[in-house]
Amino acid sequence: MVLGLSKSTLRSIYKAIISIVLAFAVTSVLFLITGANPLIAYYYIFYGAFGDLNLTIETLVRTTPLILVSLGLAIAFKCKVWNIGAEGQLYMGAMLGTITAVSLGNTPFTLTIAIIAAIIGGMAWAAVPALMKTRLGINEVITTFLMNYVAINFVQWLLSFPFRSSDSLFPESASLPDAARLSMLLPPTRLHLGVIIALVVVFPIVYFLITKTTFGYKLKAVGENPDAAKYGGININKTIFLALILSGALAGIAGFFEVSGIQYRMRASLSPGYGYTGIVIALLGANNPIGVALSSIFLAAIFNGSSTMSRALNQPQGVVDFIQGVLVIFVLGSEYIMRYLEKKGVVKL
Amino acid sequence: MSASSPSEENYAILVKGITKTYANGVTANDDITFGVMRGEIHALLGENGAGKTTLVKILSGCLIPDAGEIYVNGKKVKINDPTKAGNLGIGMVHQHFTLIPTFTVVENIALTLSLTGRLNLNAVEAKIKEVSKSINLDIDPKARIEQLPVGLRQRVEILRLLCQDVKVLILDEPTSVLTPIEVEELFKIMRELKTNGKSIILITHKVKEALAISDRISILRGGKLLKTLPSHATNEIELASLIVEGFVPSLRVGRGHMGESILIVKGLTVKGDRGDEAVKNVDLDLHAGEILGIAGVAGNGQKELVEALTGLRKMEAGSSFLRDCNLTNKPPKFIIQKGVSYIPEDKMKRGVVLNMSVSENLALKNFEEQPFSKNMVINREAIDRSASVLIDKFGIKASNSCAMVSSLSGGNIQKLVVARELAQGSNIVVAEQPTAGLDVKASQAVHQRLIELRSKGAGVLLVSSDLDEIIKLSDRILVMFNGKFVGEFTHDTLDIQRLARLMLGSLQ
Repeated sequence: MVLGLSKSTLRSIYKAIISIVLAFAVTSVLFLITGANPLIAYYYIFYGAFGDLNLTIETLVRTTPLILVSLGLAIAFKCKVWNIGAEGQLYMGAMLGTITAVSLGNTPFTLTIAIIAAIIGGMAWAAVPALMKTRLGINEVITTFLMNYVAINFVQWLLSFPFRSSDSLFPESASLPDAARLSMLLPPTRLHLGVIIALVVVFPIVYFLITKTTFGYKLKAVGENPDAAKYGGININKTIFLALILSGALAGIAGFFEVSGIQYRMRASLSPGYGYTGIVIALLGANNPIGVALSSIFLAAIFNGSSTMSRALNQPQGVVDFIQGVLVIFVLGSEYIMRYLEKKGVVKL
Repeated sequence: MSASSPSEENYAILVKGITKTYANGVTANDDITFGVMRGEIHALLGENGAGKTTLVKILSGCLIPDAGEIYVNGKKVKINDPTKAGNLGIGMVHQHFTLIPTFTVVENIALTLSLTGRLNLNAVEAKIKEVSKSINLDIDPKARIEQLPVGLRQRVEILRLLCQDVKVLILDEPTSVLTPIEVEELFKIMRELKTNGKSIILITHKVKEALAISDRISILRGGKLLKTLPSHATNEIELASLIVEGFVPSLRVGRGHMGESILIVKGLTVKGDRGDEAVKNVDLDLHAGEILGIAGVAGNGQKELVEALTGLRKMEAGSSFLRDCNLTNKPPKFIIQKGVSYIPEDKMKRGVVLNMSVSENLALKNFEEQPFSKNMVINREAIDRSASVLIDKFGIKASNSCAMVSSLSGGNIQKLVVARELAQGSNIVVAEQPTAGLDVKASQAVHQRLIELRSKGAGVLLVSSDLDEIIKLSDRILVMFNGKFVGEFTHDTLDIQRLARLMLGSLQ
């Protein structure tokens, strides 16, 4: 026992560190090929993420959609429901939230109602594969994934025709009314209320839900052994359904916060794949809320730092996707690396 | 025999001074020396946690000992992994079978026959036929594993080892899943193997079986090898007292005071996994204060009957009532809350969540009730406190209540399930093979507890393939064959010959 952490938690931490180190090592090779000094590249990535207050706040702003999505995915993954559809749920939440906000206009309740609409949008989009899974036994990996394309193209159509702004050249929604915007807390930085809501309200709630409630217990039991869960009187289908729509709800909030905290208009280019990055984060954080929170900050830092680095060193932007991809491979392989290290006696727990 | 200087050449396998200490500080094997001769059946007897499993894991290459030497046919060897063990001619039949259910016998055996290039199933089939003929074993090589009863699956496991030219077979609790008739069949095969010069290590804690089949018996206790005795020179009482200090003599079970009907089942029909009718229009009447035994060869509908009664399987027709409360096709939770406990046969698969802690598992059925949780918030202290009490009371060996269940031994996992199911005062206890895999002392404790619950007015439905257990405990016995009850006995009218024939369906 180190720092009062259990053996399995310690193992997850080791695995995450191993994955990150190896991913960085492989990415270094990419830098060498493209003619950059890896150490300088990593320095710029770190600087771009945490170099000064403004950059640090930008990293937190970037963390917000990532932590919301990945906490939701952690709930689903905890009960071994593989929701690959956070991207679509994010878009549907953002879209419904935007439509609601624009139609309500400036009222004292616009923001609250729009957030609720975003939750409903994300939930409803997740409810379809959830019902297909629990009622018909259809594999959720396929349905949630394919529904991403339906969602994004549907949103694109909505923005091109029925909800296209009259004052804009591009297919985008009307600008959000002031009452629907998340207030700026520290101008001129982009620190908005959504960042605080995500980190100070949503994160503790999800942490509590997973670790301290009967629902968290059920998630774990259903995920680890559905036979025993059923035998113990847990309604498996209900648990799976709730897990999926909860993760949809959080993705929906993530989407709407991007609109009402940063963009102020709904666009088809809203998310650079947050729904997929969320999967990487949930895996890296081993579905543990604290692990997921730290991983979200880490991935956000890579996101922001990489763009600084690519500008400074004239490197391709794609390095973010490269690191993410390599990271997934090593996270998935880390269990075997860990077992190897334990067998060789390098790591002892 | 002198354990100090055995001449290595006489033994098919010989271990000297094997010691293994686990990371958690438990010394599971402490300086163990023993050998198995060619053509010998050697039984390893001992309680749960005596170190039997650790020892054979070392022999089969799944674990590496901290100290000690292993000789195979007089040659000193190191067994680093299961493949090495296979090459040395050591093979093991695990308690939990390792066959692929959707594959046929041939396909399963072909898997392990390190074939290269084109897969020639006909050659494998020919080999299977040749090997099975040599030991008079009758098996259809084209049968799919999932269609075979447990007894036959076990024979396929043995056959698979023989096809790999294994010289030393390790059988881990082979009889725990078998009916008495199947056990006889297995013994027949073991004797055939012996005459063919194979050596067998039989792990068991059934004294009778060890005496019946083995040539020599080694007794393990607390990780130490106590004694190795020739079977003909010892007896049940001596062995039993060696295995457990303070052996509890067989209980004399008085009859319970039967009360009113507590579980009334009428016209119950249940479908099996393959869509066939596994339980056919069955009536059952369990009284308060009664232990009702259901005897039968495994696979005659007992499993489906139990699952239907506990809400885990749909009833196609019929009804089940707890007094006047309708349980027909109610969800498991409803049935649990009405006070129906259930000890499932497959404790690992159904009884526990391996990657959750002991205390979480002990609360599996009541974590949503006060004091364990309130308004959806779990009270971990209450769960841990209640767990510690149960751990003490039922003698579960766990480092603490937060330990993962996956770190417990099989016997202790079983104790955990029994503790959870029998701790509370239940109305009905459905006990499916409640003592399979438990040692003498733990079995006695389970029996004692079932009897206690009966005297408190619970109805116990005991489903077991262990006839001894059924006869010892039951006030009334129903015989199940082919989805129906084909006979009923009470304490006074019991006729074991007739019972056995009813179970086999040779008497209708």
